[in-house]
Amino acid sequence: MKMTRTVATAATTALLLATVLSACSGGNNGNQASSSSSAPAESSAAASGSATESSAPAIDPLGKYDPPIEVTAIRPYDEMTKFVEGQNADNNEWISVYEEKLGIKLKHAWTFQGPGEQYDQKLNVAIASNDLADIMAVNPNQMKQMVEAGQLEDISGVYESTASEFVKTSMNADGGVSLKSATFDGKLMGIPRLGSDIDNVALLWVRTDWLEKLGLPEPKTMSDVLAISKAFTTQDPDGNGKADTSGLALTKDLEGGFAGFEGFLNGYHAYFNIWIKDASGQLVNSNIQPEMKAALAEMQRMYKDKEIDKEFGTKDGTKVAEAVTSGKIGMYYGQMWTPLWPLQGGKDLDPNMQWRPFAITSVDDKPALGQVPFSVNQYYVVKKGAKNPEAAIKMLNLWFDMRYDHPYQEEVYGATKDGIETFKHSLIAGAPITYNIDKYRTVTPRLDSKDPSGLKPDVQLIYDDIMRYREGDNKGWGNERVFGPEGSFTVIEKYLETNSILRNEFYGAPTATIGEKGATLMTLLKETFTKIIMGAAPIDDFDKFVTDWKKLGGDQITQEINDWYAQQ
Amino acid sequence: MIRMSMGYRVFNAFNILFLVALSFACLLPIIHILAISLSGSSEAGAGLVSLWPVGFTTSSYEFILKKPEFLTSIGVTLQRVALGTVVGMLITLLVAYPLSKETHAFRMRTIYAWAFVFTILFNGGLIPWYMTIKWTGIMDTIWALVLPGAVPVFNIILLLNFFRGLPKELEESASIDGAGHWTTLWRIYAPLSMPAIATIMLFTIVNHWNSWFDGLILMKSHDNYPLSTYLQTILVRMDLTSVTGEALNNLREVSDRTAKAAQIFVGALPIMLVYPFLQRYFVKGIVMGSVKE
Amino acid sequence: MGLRKWRREIPLHMMILPGLVLILIYSYVPFFGLTMAFQKFLPARPFFDNPWVGLEHFRYVWDMPNSLRVLWNTLYIASLKIVVGQLVPIAVALLLNELRKEWLKRGVQTLIYLPHFLSWIILGGILIDILSPSQGIVNQLLGVFGIEPIYFLGDNRWFPITIVISDVWKEFGFNTIVYLAALTGINPSLYEAAVIDGASRWKQTLNITLPGILPIVVLLATLSLGNVLNAGFDQVFNLYSPSVYESGDIIDTLVYRVGLEQAQYSVATAIGLFKSIVSCVMISLSYFLAYRLANYRIF
Repeated sequence: MKMTRTVATAATTALLLATVLSACSGGNNGNQASSSSSAPAESSAAASGSATESSAPAIDPLGKYDPPIEVTAIRPYDEMTKFVEGQNADNNEWISVYEEKLGIKLKHAWTFQGPGEQYDQKLNVAIASNDLADIMAVNPNQMKQMVEAGQLEDISGVYESTASEFVKTSMNADGGVSLKSATFDGKLMGIPRLGSDIDNVALLWVRTDWLEKLGLPEPKTMSDVLAISKAFTTQDPDGNGKADTSGLALTKDLEGGFAGFEGFLNGYHAYFNIWIKDASGQLVNSNIQPEMKAALAEMQRMYKDKEIDKEFGTKDGTKVAEAVTSGKIGMYYGQMWTPLWPLQGGKDLDPNMQWRPFAITSVDDKPALGQVPFSVNQYYVVKKGAKNPEAAIKMLNLWFDMRYDHPYQEEVYGATKDGIETFKHSLIAGAPITYNIDKYRTVTPRLDSKDPSGLKPDVQLIYDDIMRYREGDNKGWGNERVFGPEGSFTVIEKYLETNSILRNEFYGAPTATIGEKGATLMTLLKETFTKIIMGAAPIDDFDKFVTDWKKLGGDQITQEINDWYAQQ
Repeated sequence: MIRMSMGYRVFNAFNILFLVALSFACLLPIIHILAISLSGSSEAGAGLVSLWPVGFTTSSYEFILKKPEFLTSIGVTLQRVALGTVVGMLITLLVAYPLSKETHAFRMRTIYAWAFVFTILFNGGLIPWYMTIKWTGIMDTIWALVLPGAVPVFNIILLLNFFRGLPKELEESASIDGAGHWTTLWRIYAPLSMPAIATIMLFTIVNHWNSWFDGLILMKSHDNYPLSTYLQTILVRMDLTSVTGEALNNLREVSDRTAKAAQIFVGALPIMLVYPFLQRYFVKGIVMGSVKE
Repeated sequence: MGLRKWRREIPLHMMILPGLVLILIYSYVPFFGLTMAFQKFLPARPFFDNPWVGLEHFRYVWDMPNSLRVLWNTLYIASLKIVVGQLVPIAVALLLNELRKEWLKRGVQTLIYLPHFLSWIILGGILIDILSPSQGIVNQLLGVFGIEPIYFLGDNRWFPITIVISDVWKEFGFNTIVYLAALTGINPSLYEAAVIDGASRWKQTLNITLPGILPIVVLLATLSLGNVLNAGFDQVFNLYSPSVYESGDIIDTLVYRVGLEQAQYSVATAIGLFKSIVSCVMISLSYFLAYRLANYRIF
């Protein structure tokens, strides 16, 4: 599909640029010297945006401010972020390097280390009280609100003039979709934090020790899957004489990266909550398509036959994980990381347990496509009226330069020998879409050659775990199931080769009606679908759901989405 | 003492049985959670723990306790509880006493009473609350945790009702002896209301100990987080609808389950230990029932 | 004389002053935020500059397809909680009062307060386990009596009751303490006189104990009436699921889901205002009823 070609193009371009840029490094040094002496003129030029036309030579993407400038920021750290001895959130290697290389003194207004939702709560209050910093890490909803409230600076100009070529190319590697998602009325209002969407595709996870025990083949079609589900439920795969096992895991939220139903739906060419093109080229919502009805009907049948846990409706992910790790369920649809949690827990308890991921199977001869959510869920925004809006772009340039373009002191700024992930300390970050799958691609040949030399620390960790598992230590099993030759990324690799990834056609900010009616529609959907699956409502209630969905705002939203689409 | 009839004896036996059973019903979940907090993460994650730890380990507690923020946050909480309780009790006593008077002795009484009650009925909302605290310049200080909640209207109402229950003659004879309102309050009313005051003090302490939301929103620096806020932030929340690639390594460490369980204990244990001491004051009944109509 | 009375009142005014100043600053000043309920709130503008939309936010929630259902669920669950939540502590306090052994009394008192410290996040998990139709001990116990397993948390017929009972279990310790403290305030000589008159323990309870704690009962009941629209967000949020939206979705969970799409402060403020008005009406009614009928001022 469009994606793989763009990735290939981007990779080639990046490679070429890297060669060219490194050849020019001598020239760059000269540039730095001259720009530092004329820094005041440079910063004011960038601020007034007048240098946009004659871009590349005029403004050095990595030019240092002299005298140094101060920039305030608000940012989260995830729960597990650690710091090097003697350092902390406000004083670490990245903060130092911003000052050394860019002349930017980064002062945090505040930072937060903890669950993302708490960061959001704190930030929401600050936004609503107009208590802002120069640069802030926000989610899509927050960005939209701030744009509407006029709290953000338009950074189209400074991006054009200050972003390095490498950054521009990396940002466009996905066809410019990420940048477009941050663009309002043609103006770029934030820097998207690039992420990987392919990491979020659903894989079919099956307990292969049960498969062997019952003499079943690996699943290649949906009927295989259904047969496996039936066998796991009725043929006592754990051999304890009790009918206490079931075939397919499902959580009460229906969606999710572990035991969600997206993968199952995808097998029926149905998709959860995305916008897809219909025959006439218009965008329609996947929730109301007839394929969804077929998938739900099958799930209803499975529930009735006890292949889905009778109590799934009150069990969240953690509860379902219990059942999986204690050996009560043999199959689920989940993302590539699920071996690390919850499966590792199960393996620790029962070393005989073995799981393998498979590609989603299709119900007919049309291949199944795995849906992926939009990959950007964080943006770096600049407060309106900030003195140096281009500072954010320079930090972006530095990040991409030091991490990907000219990898620099990986064990200081990436991950230390002790495993402290110092890259998390960078204010502005983002990873190319292939970040994780690249780790897999790097480590795979080394597994055969058994030669780990030159591996970056985070890849080294994976290599070590896989080796450990092969020597019989189950502690390494999780990573081996993700990155090893039977693991998640082999399947994802296959998806990429066969173009089996389906992206949401809509990636803009939520429309007005989505804001108003979105919650109502989702409540309606979850309630109806749950009732249908549990048999509390007949399958034909789906048709009524479609009518209600359209009436309660669905039609309006579809119209707005298509209006947006027409302008892309 | 009271002679027990046969019927009463039977009742007594059943009563004891019932109350003990009730206590167990309250105790068992606590034991269960304690067991989880001391169990291995895989075992807890598989739902194998009931009343006894499986795969005994203290790693959840170590995880919580070994961070330096833990000690700093305890310091903040102790400060907050001490300051907040003193300020809160003072205000409670000072406001409950006048409000307990009759209208003929204190004409603005009812107006004041409604002014206070109004504040527990109506709420301006999160954002104005935040803004007001910012404007008064106490953001990111211990006072932000103490002042906004320093007027516990519920407790005031409780106390004023207790005051009303005290014999009027006490006040009359005190005033004849030349005691003003201040003396009456501190020398007579307060000592006689010990059960009520102890109760209210317990509620105030518990409330301050457990409040975490204000700490989250109003404290900018992590060093200023009280214990309860700190404990909230270390929970690894498993949002399964969107797990980023970088969160991969997080998932291998402390389990959601055991950490949450340990969190409850670390947070609640001190209070559970304080409570029995305050109970003494409930038991000391009012002796001065001497002047009665 | 007027002046002396006035002078006698001054200390009382002085005593109230600190508390009054504090609530003026930290409760009354934030009331300006209530205007958000009638405006389209935009953060960067001064508060009174936002476009006025009148009752639109109220209409928005009212027009939602399930608004009536949600309102009913809230009233139903909250009212049950108020009634059961008052009765149980009274009963337990009375029973506790009958215990002769001090250590037993104190022990029980401490233990019943413990569930208050558990958060619904972790209680949710425990409840799902013990109430499970297939493996939970509650249903196993019921099975001993020949009763079919009940899907407490997944069945719309049982969900509200489950919510009420589990909440009362968690919080009854709190009110019991208050009642116990009230019980110690009853003059012991009244009991001695009753014993001399030959009254049984039961008669004593009816004629001395109950009337003795009646003011507190009325007080707590009235104050809890203010919660008639607070069905307990934290609890319901951790225990509900799409299969029980019908009986379990309350005002606060609805507003929460709306708020996930957009931080809808205006809607939340509007709903908060609505709830406050209802609480205010309920409490005022009780206050005046108690005053007129029993000459008892609740506060």
